[in-house]
Amino acid sequence: MPYLVLALALAAVAAVSLLIGPGDLADEELRATYLSLRAARVCGAMLAGGALGAAGAMVQGLFRNPLASPSILGTTAGASFGGQLVLLAHSGLASAGILAWVPPEAVLPLGCLAGAFASLLVLLAFVRGGADVLSLLLIGFALTSLFLSLGSFVTTLAVERYELGRAVVAFTLGGLGGVGWTHVRLAAPLVAVGLAAGWLWGRPLDVLLAGEAEAASLGVDVRDARRWVIAWVGVLTAAAVAIGGNIAFVGLVVPHALRPFVGAEHRKLVPATVLGGAAFLAACDVIARVLPTGVEAPLGVVTGLIGAPLFLALLVRMNREVVA
Amino acid sequence: MIEARALEVVRDGRRVLDGVALDAADSEVTAILGPNGAGKSTLLCALAGLLPVASGAVRIDGAPLATLDPRERARRIAYVPQKTELRAALGVETVVSHGRYAHTGGLGRPSPRDLRAIEGAMQRADVAALRGRRFDRLSTGEQRRVLIARALATEARTILLDEPAAALDVRHALELYALLGELAGEGLCLVVVLHGLDEARRFTHRATLLVGGRVAAAGPTSEVVTAPHVRDVYGVELVEDAALGFRLEGRE
Repeated sequence: MPYLVLALALAAVAAVSLLIGPGDLADEELRATYLSLRAARVCGAMLAGGALGAAGAMVQGLFRNPLASPSILGTTAGASFGGQLVLLAHSGLASAGILAWVPPEAVLPLGCLAGAFASLLVLLAFVRGGADVLSLLLIGFALTSLFLSLGSFVTTLAVERYELGRAVVAFTLGGLGGVGWTHVRLAAPLVAVGLAAGWLWGRPLDVLLAGEAEAASLGVDVRDARRWVIAWVGVLTAAAVAIGGNIAFVGLVVPHALRPFVGAEHRKLVPATVLGGAAFLAACDVIARVLPTGVEAPLGVVTGLIGAPLFLALLVRMNREVVA
Repeated sequence: MIEARALEVVRDGRRVLDGVALDAADSEVTAILGPNGAGKSTLLCALAGLLPVASGAVRIDGAPLATLDPRERARRIAYVPQKTELRAALGVETVVSHGRYAHTGGLGRPSPRDLRAIEGAMQRADVAALRGRRFDRLSTGEQRRVLIARALATEARTILLDEPAAALDVRHALELYALLGELAGEGLCLVVVLHGLDEARRFTHRATLLVGGRVAAAGPTSEVVTAPHVRDVYGVELVEDAALGFRLEGRE
């Protein structure tokens, strides 16, 4: 039943999203073009939201902490920095007449993937060294700080050139305005593989909810599971950042909100978070477009404005349940 | 059977186990006894292969434990911890089904044999009535019984239990000890960390008494839990047939 409700909500949001946006659908000549642009945007929102929702469920399971999110591994910041760096490098090369024919959105996902994997390589090196969960959280925190600092430096360099500065700032704030079918085609395979892996790793993640020692006693190869789950979370996060830039709260709020309805079993939770994350982000994108602000609100701002109070409300409810 | 030889475990520079040997045979319940901090739970974890040992070896049915992969080890040894870290909203039956992880693997679906093992374990641990409940909403005693069911679902021939009767009411505690006896009767090897010397004498065949990470005595429980050993290790007098069974030295 929860899946049906989520699927209907997603379909409704997608329909609304197709009807809203710049351009008049009454214009028969351009209707197909407008719809294609809007469809690419809503597909991008669904892919990014689904990826972030599933990544959130996997990270929360791995760290046995419902307050964890994909960003705590440093992969979000790494992917974001990779994207910023690629935009800067592409602009520099294009000005010199090199690779000027390649659109920035074609290389952006590669930068995000490279950034996410740079972060993951550091993290996995510590996993190989036997780092425990708490150490991984602290390493993720340090990597996030490092990549945010580097990203700020790139932004400082980028704002020297107006158009580049706008592009980097828009990417950093998160948004789906520039999403086209190229983004969707590049990110879709990553999201599909990541989601399949999330479902397949569901059972070890369930057993890991009892802690690493108990999971090991039940036959889970804890280090192997940790390594693979982190890697797939990295893939999903990189794909999501490549589509929508820095988007906060989806990976944190969506699994947290859905767990009371579908339970903590990952093979049930991951599909629900895919639907829920997709619907949530597509809805936030619609809100970003209809807010009477004169300009389209950055998506990361909208997810933060909705996600933060929602998260606090869920936290209060959780605390009440614990007290009760 | 499970055996340990010259086990040494070092934690934070402190030798928690120092040259410990233990033999636990099939068809017997073996107790690990000792005062607080003697290294009982550490020894149980080392026997389960969950701790890095500085030196020494553990063998399960003659095979070195260190050579077994996690799944093979889990098929041979089940472990019931003193406290679980499981707080998630999982159903009771799901938790018990985790005992089959080593058999079905991460990707596999439970076979009819897996389902029979889960059902049988739930019946034996008296948790079938809790089937529809969430694990995190059970009492500590109920959770303990579910963890015992999870261990039984593994169908391992060696079961290690850390204070299994703690938090159980008297009926369930007695049923648990009866179950341990039954399992030993079926040829299983059971190793139990216990605080209660009386329970050890009533329900276990052999005992290893630890103090300060070393073996103070080992053998048939009746020869280990004796007045001299109890006096030396715990500093209390064992009083046979007394209401409490013990009294502090120097006090009536």
